[in-house]
Amino acid sequence: MEIRNKNILKVIFPVVLITGLLIFADSYSRISKGNTDICLSCHEDNTLTMEKDGKKIPLYVDPDRYKKSAHQMAECEDCHENYDPDELPHSKTPSQVNCISCHKEAKSIETNVHSKVKCYDCHTRHEVRPAKEFAKDQTRNCLSCHKNRDIQHYSSSVHAKNNVGCEGCHNGGHTVKKISKQETANVCGKCHGGHEKDFNNSIHMSVLKRGDKNAPTCTDCHGSHKIVRGKISVESEACLKCHLDEEKFPGDSLGSAKFVAHYKTSIHASIDKEGLLEAAGCVDCHGDHMVQNPGNPRASTNHARLMETCGKCHKDVVESFNKSKHGKELVKGNDKAPTCTDCHGEHDIKSTLISNDFSKLNLTEKCLSCHKDGKIPHKNFKGEEELITGYQNSVHYLALKDGNHDAPTCYECHGAHEMESADNPSSKINKINIAKTCGQSNCHVNQLNDFTGSIHESGVSKGNKDAPTCNNCHGNHGIVSKNIDNKQEKAKDLVKLCYDCHSSVELVERNDLPTQVGESFKESFHGLAIRGGSREAANCESCHGNHNIRPSSDSLSTISKKNLPQTCGKCHPGATEVLFTKKIHLNDIEKDSPWVFWITRFYMFMIFGIIGFMIFHNVLDLRRKLKSKKKK
Amino acid sequence: MSGQVNTGEREYLRMTFNERIQHFLLLSSFIVLILTGFGLKFPEAFWVKWIVFIIGENAFEARGIVHRIAGGVMIVASLYHLYYILFTVRGKQLVRDFWPKKQDITDFKNSMLYLIGKRETRPKFGRFSYIERMEYWAVVWGTIVMGATGTVLWFENIFLKFTTNEGMDIATAVHYYEAILASLAILVWHFYFVFLNPDVYPMNKASFKGFLTREEMEKEHPLELEEIEGVETEESKGMNELDDSKNDNIEELIIDEGKKETDDVSKKETEVMVKNKTEFKDNHGEDE
Repeated sequence: MEIRNKNILKVIFPVVLITGLLIFADSYSRISKGNTDICLSCHEDNTLTMEKDGKKIPLYVDPDRYKKSAHQMAECEDCHENYDPDELPHSKTPSQVNCISCHKEAKSIETNVHSKVKCYDCHTRHEVRPAKEFAKDQTRNCLSCHKNRDIQHYSSSVHAKNNVGCEGCHNGGHTVKKISKQETANVCGKCHGGHEKDFNNSIHMSVLKRGDKNAPTCTDCHGSHKIVRGKISVESEACLKCHLDEEKFPGDSLGSAKFVAHYKTSIHASIDKEGLLEAAGCVDCHGDHMVQNPGNPRASTNHARLMETCGKCHKDVVESFNKSKHGKELVKGNDKAPTCTDCHGEHDIKSTLISNDFSKLNLTEKCLSCHKDGKIPHKNFKGEEELITGYQNSVHYLALKDGNHDAPTCYECHGAHEMESADNPSSKINKINIAKTCGQSNCHVNQLNDFTGSIHESGVSKGNKDAPTCNNCHGNHGIVSKNIDNKQEKAKDLVKLCYDCHSSVELVERNDLPTQVGESFKESFHGLAIRGGSREAANCESCHGNHNIRPSSDSLSTISKKNLPQTCGKCHPGATEVLFTKKIHLNDIEKDSPWVFWITRFYMFMIFGIIGFMIFHNVLDLRRKLKSKKKK
Repeated sequence: MSGQVNTGEREYLRMTFNERIQHFLLLSSFIVLILTGFGLKFPEAFWVKWIVFIIGENAFEARGIVHRIAGGVMIVASLYHLYYILFTVRGKQLVRDFWPKKQDITDFKNSMLYLIGKRETRPKFGRFSYIERMEYWAVVWGTIVMGATGTVLWFENIFLKFTTNEGMDIATAVHYYEAILASLAILVWHFYFVFLNPDVYPMNKASFKGFLTREEMEKEHPLELEEIEGVETEESKGMNELDDSKNDNIEELIIDEGKKETDDVSKKETEVMVKNKTEFKDNHGEDE
């Protein structure tokens, strides 16, 4: 017979040598060499059986397969020691076939997980195949014993498809082993080196290293044998398996069930349920292998990196957020600046404005939870320091509370993601844009229409910083309605409001405005009446209008010559055909009304002259009379 | 008719009941007009705030109504006074006595000389001195001016058509300055002579009681007193000769420059009291 394989020779040669030595040592031998054929003469009968303990044991040996097996050179008695062919049964005390006595290299099998597994369980009895041939089918051999369902699924795993067999992980051969949790990552890392590195940096690994039994390793998420490619194997369910179990996180608020369970109610989870795969699962935000505590600057959920993380999906939003004041502060490293989660929540992210949790009222609370302590004061129209929290007393907020969902909260004026500080020209609350912001659709559209084209608006749009826009008169956050109910107070406030600018010498000079309008009004009957508490007397607004204030030269103005009779006629019905020959606000009496001027002069003279004389006369009279009384 | 010869101290009629009512209407409406008028002009003054506080939130509206009522009272009282001086005997006499005379200039000159110490004695005054004449005509002037401008401002919707807004401005200015002038004049001139004046201090009660005592008459109206007593002497001389009808028609006396005036004495108002017959002598101030 030709020796085809040197390896086989290497195996066979020592077997033969050892066998020879044994024969030599024990010259008395009952079984002579070359008995195999004799054995087969009986055992090639496939009906040959024996009975032992009531069990039928087949004694058939297929001679063809034996002759082709790796043991073709060995004789029966090489393995079956102590057998007497003449006796039946051949041995009274049949000894176990001891493969290890020849196959020393396989000795480790006696001590590892397979210690109870007989060699023939894998290698079969008489048809032992050459090692190389055997290796090809090893995985199938494993599966023939390991009927466990999970292990059986291996055949459909990505490993099976890529010819990674059992031995790829479990070493296979005679050194087969169980893989402990601690070494799993290491084992997987043999191939998945990059992921192992990431995993080694994860919070999962550090918990694992602490010896926490609950810490997950590769297989806890990916499965052990039925490993499938990509996301499907690591759906949020895999994470939630642990993270919804309160008992696994004693004293830990971040990983705890209560905290994470909110995810199930989030928009991310609910869209996922509808089968839209864009919805984010755990790994989309937290990363896959390198899951980190958010406190870790390398974590994708770290405060400073959230924009990047959320921006993977919400590109446009994050782009505009990056330009916002909040975004800029974040980039600067201001850890107090809010990022996505500060407003939207963490696991319980809801669709904006639809759900109660993300209602306008709650949003207000969120903004005010930072902007609450008056550190960002604004001057209101009365000149008092106005706090942002004043919003909570405003008509806007009260309407919102009453259930008017159109009432604006912070973001409607400031913008949501694109919010910027007022001095930025693209800010919604920059002076130039405020009117547009207040007049946005569904809000104060009519007022904006009126305001457009007014003298104040034209000043604002020219960039005149003195010109007032909405908030200069109405206030910023604390826009209140209380004075609207009280006409007396309203008129006084209104006059004060206009007066504050129109009596400022600096402002009047800078803008070439008519002088003394405030003073002349205050001394006019209208002004005196308002100062005295009249409810009916005309205030600035009664004649000049409010949003649509225009100069008298403008034909649309309420105080243009053409419109004056109508304007005044609102209160003075008989005066519709009045000829207004003189200015209403006498800012220079001598020029505007010489009559009044000279009458004033005349009376001043009279008062000082006559009363002065009277005092003089009476003082003398008193002195004289007292004197003459004394004499008496 | 309380003051009687019989009661020991003799009392002299100064103001009849009718006149006291007129005076009361004038003074009360005047005070109300001052308060409600300056209350408008100086809304932030402390006393205005007090009044507003007391009256409450409708104070401003109430102010306007009260001012108009008081103005109406004053105008009605003035119109009645016009009737009084035109159509009643005592009223005619009153305006005649108030009418400025040349003597007033002399009196004024001498009075001033006396006051500054260049003369030893005061000129003697009759029923009305230059001081009271000034007072009276100032009130006449003030009432006309205030009444006219006040009416224009009251009915602004009607007058605006004729006056234009400048007219309203003028009326406003006149009304305001005249008010200051009038109130200061009352305060400095009238209040001095009827309150602070040592001769009558603490108060000249004639406007309430209607009478002056002999002492007051001597100090303030010596000529009138002389005259009354002169007439009485005459009367007592020819008491039996004179009957009631004559009493009603006592002959007028010569006024300056020999002009004669008739003084009608109202019978009704002088039943008991001696009539206020006055006679002005050319030289009455020169007694030394």
